[in-house]
Amino acid sequence: MADEVRKIILKGRKVIGGVAEGEALVSKMPLMGWGNVNVKGGFTVERNHPLFEVPFKGKVLVFSEPRGSGGFVGYGRTRQFGTNPAAFIYRKGNNLTVFAAMNMKVPTVTDFDQDPTEVIETGDYVRVDGDKGMVEVFKRR
Amino acid sequence: MHLTDQEKRILDGGQGEIAQKCMQFLVAYGEAAGAERLVDLDGTVDLHPGQFWVADYVITPEEIDELANKGEKFKVPTFANKATAPGFIYDGWERCGTLPNSDPEYHKKCTEPFKPWIKMGMVPTFSCDNYLVASYLPAVGQHCAWVESSAIPWVNAVLGARSNFDGCFQTAYLGKVPAYDMQLDENRMATVLVECASELKADMDYDLFGWAVGEACGLEVPALVGIGKPTTSQLVKMNSSLNTGGQVRMYHIPGVTPEAPTLEAAFKGNRYKKRITITREDLKRVYEVMNYASNDHVDFVYLGCPHYNIEELRKVAEYLEGKRCKTPVWVMTNPLTFKAAEMMSLKDTIEKAGAVLLSGTCCGLLMGEMPPSGVMATDAAKQDYYITGIVYPKRLEVWYGTTEDCIEAAITGKWRGEWR
Repeated sequence: MADEVRKIILKGRKVIGGVAEGEALVSKMPLMGWGNVNVKGGFTVERNHPLFEVPFKGKVLVFSEPRGSGGFVGYGRTRQFGTNPAAFIYRKGNNLTVFAAMNMKVPTVTDFDQDPTEVIETGDYVRVDGDKGMVEVFKRR
Repeated sequence: MHLTDQEKRILDGGQGEIAQKCMQFLVAYGEAAGAERLVDLDGTVDLHPGQFWVADYVITPEEIDELANKGEKFKVPTFANKATAPGFIYDGWERCGTLPNSDPEYHKKCTEPFKPWIKMGMVPTFSCDNYLVASYLPAVGQHCAWVESSAIPWVNAVLGARSNFDGCFQTAYLGKVPAYDMQLDENRMATVLVECASELKADMDYDLFGWAVGEACGLEVPALVGIGKPTTSQLVKMNSSLNTGGQVRMYHIPGVTPEAPTLEAAFKGNRYKKRITITREDLKRVYEVMNYASNDHVDFVYLGCPHYNIEELRKVAEYLEGKRCKTPVWVMTNPLTFKAAEMMSLKDTIEKAGAVLLSGTCCGLLMGEMPPSGVMATDAAKQDYYITGIVYPKRLEVWYGTTEDCIEAAITGKWRGEWR
């Protein structure tokens, strides 16, 4: 029996334009930067974090909120090492997420009509249109 | 984003190429943040000297030199936070015992690049809590551009001035920031009511409480009730944890902080979105997260995150008077408090016990450059929770407790702190 694919559309606000797609990596727990993001490796090294050492390179990184230091921009500096995500999606941010996105230079969307960390699950296929502020989620069922 | 004629002129290069580059950054940042306009700063700037937020918008050392030589100044009083790239020890490096910081050439190499910044008006405070020694603070309602997670709640909540996390060369030089988030009235009112059901006594209690509230509130603005009358040391610790365990940039303590004479005023008459109670169990849970160690042998004790104030240094000197430390101990403060501690002979007392007084940085910003250790002890949740990531992939155990617990560990070489 062929896999059925269900499509969900989320509407948000553009932070950085462009189009990208890939598999989602979702964190309901906020992400923390500075020493707790390993820029060269492209993963969080926050002890106690469910995504500890899980690479986000090439993934659509979906998370709830940032927390902590201005060193959150480290997520953006992964771009210099080629360990950056394909797209950056978050429920709620501040200028730390903006600065990270400006460094990362991948499609980035926030302020959605639904909570992206509730709708999107790790492994879903996601297409992000930064210019339109639109995220399409493809779920297999 | 709407720009005034003056701002458009700067963007078009009418005020020179460097001002144009600064304006290009502010416009790109403002648009990505969803700001509708810029606002003129009338408060202060707090920045990490030498650091730029976005790689595409760096002002080079040569350009800064050029401006300084032309006699150009920052638009508002501007204070140096810690240097981050790289971090370096400002005072006391001669005795730190670690490389590269104990090398005089290294110290010279690190301080040299900031001369043009100082010429442009940057006050060489080099501290995460420069607001404690700045000698000039923004007034209620003034627009600022600060940095430093532990300092942001100070400018917004304690002082009642307004700041996002965007202090940098560009904001200081143009005296402008995008007008959004904490700059605007509507984002500053309380949204979450936090009731503290446990009496906060020790300074550590405020550190733990801040973390628990931060985790529960994220980016919301809490109104904190039942937290007693925190001292300066306690507020500094609480702020540090509020913006590390979470992202609390602004809060109200009804009857204490300037924008909340009453609980009703904190919410501007609106109903809270969420109501939270923090109990003794919540504090204990955070205490357990911070105690990330099993070996009771301690190799190194780190104190001074955020940088210790003079009262904390006086306390440490009192504990250490006539004692001898078995482990290396770093006590970190800001450069101006370091001078005061020298004048008061607190530095002598600390050094006679075998500890070292330093200023201007922290183990985290030194990228883990510290006396060799497999187990460290500290009294700061922020330093505790970052340092294990900073030394990755090396494994480091961390004990967390009161300042007294840490000093006892330094004297005995053993961790005896426990939840009381």
